[in-house]
Amino acid sequence: MKDTELCAYLQIEVRVLDLWVQQRWLVPEERGGMREFHNADLARGRLILDLIGPMGVNEDGVDVAMNLLDQVHALRGKLAELVAALREEELEVQKRILSRIDFE
Amino acid sequence: MSRDPYETLGVSRDASQKDIQSAYRKLAKNLHPDLNPGDKAAEEKFKGVSAAYSLLSDEEKRKKFDRGEIDATGAETAPPRDYYRDYASHGSTGGRYENRSAFSDFGDADDVFSSFFSRRNRPQGPIKGRDAHYAMEVDFLEAVNGAKKKITLPDGTALDLQIPAGTRDGQTLRLRGKGEPGFNNGPPGDALIDITVRPHPIFKVDGDDVRYEVPISLSEAVLGGKIRVPTVSGAVNVTLAPNSNTGKTLRLKGKGLHKHGGGHGDAFVTLKVVLPDEPDSELTEFVKNWEAGTRHDPRKTMGGGV
Repeated sequence: MKDTELCAYLQIEVRVLDLWVQQRWLVPEERGGMREFHNADLARGRLILDLIGPMGVNEDGVDVAMNLLDQVHALRGKLAELVAALREEELEVQKRILSRIDFE
Repeated sequence: MSRDPYETLGVSRDASQKDIQSAYRKLAKNLHPDLNPGDKAAEEKFKGVSAAYSLLSDEEKRKKFDRGEIDATGAETAPPRDYYRDYASHGSTGGRYENRSAFSDFGDADDVFSSFFSRRNRPQGPIKGRDAHYAMEVDFLEAVNGAKKKITLPDGTALDLQIPAGTRDGQTLRLRGKGEPGFNNGPPGDALIDITVRPHPIFKVDGDDVRYEVPISLSEAVLGGKIRVPTVSGAVNVTLAPNSNTGKTLRLKGKGLHKHGGGHGDAFVTLKVVLPDEPDSELTEFVKNWEAGTRHDPRKTMGGGV
């Protein structure tokens, strides 16, 4: 979707969107020199609005939160891949690996 | 959410607006689905807390709720939404938000894992989009007999919605593929439309049956004969016995609602004798001279000192 459409959904002004993009809270896809936003960006925008609105987080707080959130998702992605790969292994291998990290 | 919004937020009924805000913030930080990417139950809980907050943070709405003018469900106007975590966890952000430098230290060692931590996460396979939920009101007769309705989805697309004959209040209609788009080329979700049937001023629903009152004239009541009676599926001829009184109930078989397993309920029609709007001199004269009428006491079995 285009800038204006995203702004309409989120009920924000374009200069607010510009600020978010500048802060890299939103990273649009570049398509022929135009910014293209996706549903993921819309959902992300709603989260930002929740944070700065009812949840009372300030601009620096949003910066920290979004940065950590992106790290969490990247880690979750890696963890999911790792677990999926381990599940492909034989049960013996899975158990051996688990025994190395299981402290109980 | 039928729970008391004060209870949901854990505040007393005389809490200040500031108390309500800080209670909401505390809960939202713990429950926001995007701050709890792995907790499936967070979404439902957050929805309840948000609805409670949107009711109590608005002083007008809060006063109305306190006076009992609206109930807690009155606050549940928030449209369904999807959360960023759904996109991030399905790897459908095209790597635009992936932050890999944060754990590049895992891949420092010159071993088989170094590339695993430095390359982009693999997107998951196709995943069906979410179902979108809508609500719609239809007239009683449209629900009984079926109807075609045009609806406009939030994205502007207009759809023809077929309300099947026999649709009941609270029923949900499903439009396949009209929900949220899928992830990674997955199919879109469905649109689910909750139907509320507006009550009809005359036809009252009683299970599969319909009950209503039908006015008849004095002549029809005394003499009987054929009369036209409306039903939910059009008027029918009914034969009245002579001397059909107010309160007499006739059963019109199969003129009720569509039954779940096929067939129809019945209509129960209660007669009500109605005098002409304008006094009629001939009738007045007749009744004055009507000997048996003066002796007829319809209240004699009532008791109560009559």
